[in-house]
Amino acid sequence: MKNLKKISKQKQRTYEGESDLNIENADMIICRCQEVTLKDIVQAIAEDATTVNEIKRRTRAGMGLCQGRSCSRLVRKILAEHTGQKFAKVIPGTFRPPVRPIALSTLASLEEDTDDKS
Amino acid sequence: MTNPDVVVIGGGIIGCCCAYYLAKQRLKVAIVEKGSICSEASKSCQGHLFLWELPAINIKLAKASKKLYEQLYNELDIDFELRNTGSMSIAEKPQDLETLQQTLNELRQAGVECQMLSAKEFIKTEPNVTRDISGGASFPEDGQLNPLLTTIALTQAVKKLGADIRHFTEVTGIELSADKSSIVAVETTKGKIGTKYVINAAGAWSGQIGRMVGINIPVVPRRGNLIVTEQVPDNIINCQIIIASGYLDSLKRENKTAVAANVQQTREGNLLLGSSREFAGFDKNVNPEVISLIVKRCIRFFPVLADLHTIRSWAGLRPYSPDMLPIISSSPIEGFYVASGHEGVGITMGPITGKLITQLITKQQLDLPVDQLSVERFAEKQ
Ligand SMILES: Cc1cc2nc3c(=O)[nH]c(=O)nc-3n(C[C@H](O)[C@H](O)[C@H](O)COP(=O)(O)OP(=O)(O)OC[C@H]3O[C@@H](n4cnc5c(N)ncnc54)[C@H](O)[C@@H]3O)c2cc1C
Ligand code: FES
Repeated sequence: MKNLKKISKQKQRTYEGESDLNIENADMIICRCQEVTLKDIVQAIAEDATTVNEIKRRTRAGMGLCQGRSCSRLVRKILAEHTGQKFAKVIPGTFRPPVRPIALSTLASLEEDTDDKS
Repeated sequence: MTNPDVVVIGGGIIGCCCAYYLAKQRLKVAIVEKGSICSEASKSCQGHLFLWELPAINIKLAKASKKLYEQLYNELDIDFELRNTGSMSIAEKPQDLETLQQTLNELRQAGVECQMLSAKEFIKTEPNVTRDISGGASFPEDGQLNPLLTTIALTQAVKKLGADIRHFTEVTGIELSADKSSIVAVETTKGKIGTKYVINAAGAWSGQIGRMVGINIPVVPRRGNLIVTEQVPDNIINCQIIIASGYLDSLKRENKTAVAANVQQTREGNLLLGSSREFAGFDKNVNPEVISLIVKRCIRFFPVLADLHTIRSWAGLRPYSPDMLPIISSSPIEGFYVASGHEGVGITMGPITGKLITQLITKQQLDLPVDQLSVERFAEKQ
């Protein structure tokens, strides 16, 4: 539940019970990093996306700087609502390393570290 | 549901392209994909349309394919970010410049437009490149696209043409006629599908599909790692695709693990840093040592990269064929076709592969001869 804190109050409400994820809020931004709206996501679902990864490939929701930490639960929730699946049944997205953005210079020196050890 | 005319196994770029050209010929197509559409190599790659991979047959395929992408760009409903970017190659040391010059001579003979650049000329177009290079070359015909959107655009189009897309359905077997000369049905985790034609477009897994009908397809996975940076302005690199010398060398099979700096910028502004080649079975975990080496090599050429951030990395499995030529082929079993083994140029060669397979099935005149690409070159001699 930790990552919920990062999300605005309005969005947080949508995790529970009756949500405001209805089409009247079509322009509501779901993925802030990539500026993907509710409408974009509903459109992807209409075109048969059934998992968080499929939505990501179509709309870029989850491909931003935070790598979906802020939006992926919300995307799951929208998927659940629009496809009639239970939230727990919606396949979550894949999280790919690194978990937080890291400087390329740090990555480049990884190998030197291992060299030192050997 | 009525039986399809053709079952395409695999929903990557190759399967989707085959399905598209078949459906346009009014054949009833079903794509059977074990995961979701575009969830393996075709998702994990860069979208470089690479028009200078020798031998000459590969270049012919690549050129024809790029023309088809230009047509698709007008035909399909989704903007799949096709761009004429050109590409550049850096020669690190003086001997790399010599090798590059030789390669360019061969490429010109094969009809590739290309130009040698002095270090000074290179630095003029790419002010962020290190001063410590020997020169380079430019390939103005190369291009780029977004592979995810391309497969989605294709699947949407085939659906409109009446094709049936069965994702999360794995092919587990293929039923042959009693005399084993033709196809009867495809067995899947969600039931049997009767059909006369099967296209094996299962990428790195196409050998497994071959075994189901007793045809030797020695395609194996060759892993590639990629690193994605945050979105950055478009003046870090000016040509959107830059590859260091050593890339063509890294393709050779003797190299168990090979890394060559390859920097690309997508239309969205992220940089994709590659590239690597490893034989590691079907393991798709990223190899931290290889990642580190890639980044180091990229920073070697573009020191400004050191301050950027990476937001994710992944590995994908290229379908490697032992002679580095794709397989675009009919087979001794009537109705069984193979479209696989495209290694590092499957995105580039998608459309031409789909078109040639369609021409083979519908017995139309071929855009290019495919004798060299036959699966029978791997037939086990008895
Ligand atoms: C890091 C990297 C960078 C690359 N960069 C480029 C580039 O810049 N330009 C370029 O042209 N190419 C590039 N490539 C190569 C390109 O990605 C591949 O050649 C291409 O994607 C192969 O497409 P495919 O459809 O054959 O395979 P895939 O996309 O792997 O599709 C095969 C599909 O078959 C499915 N399948 C397998 N077995 C079964 C079964 N039993 N039942 C049902 N479905 C099954 C799989 O799930 C998979 O989705 C790159 C590759 C990598 C790894
Ligand atoms: S909010 Fe979607 S990736 Fe950050």
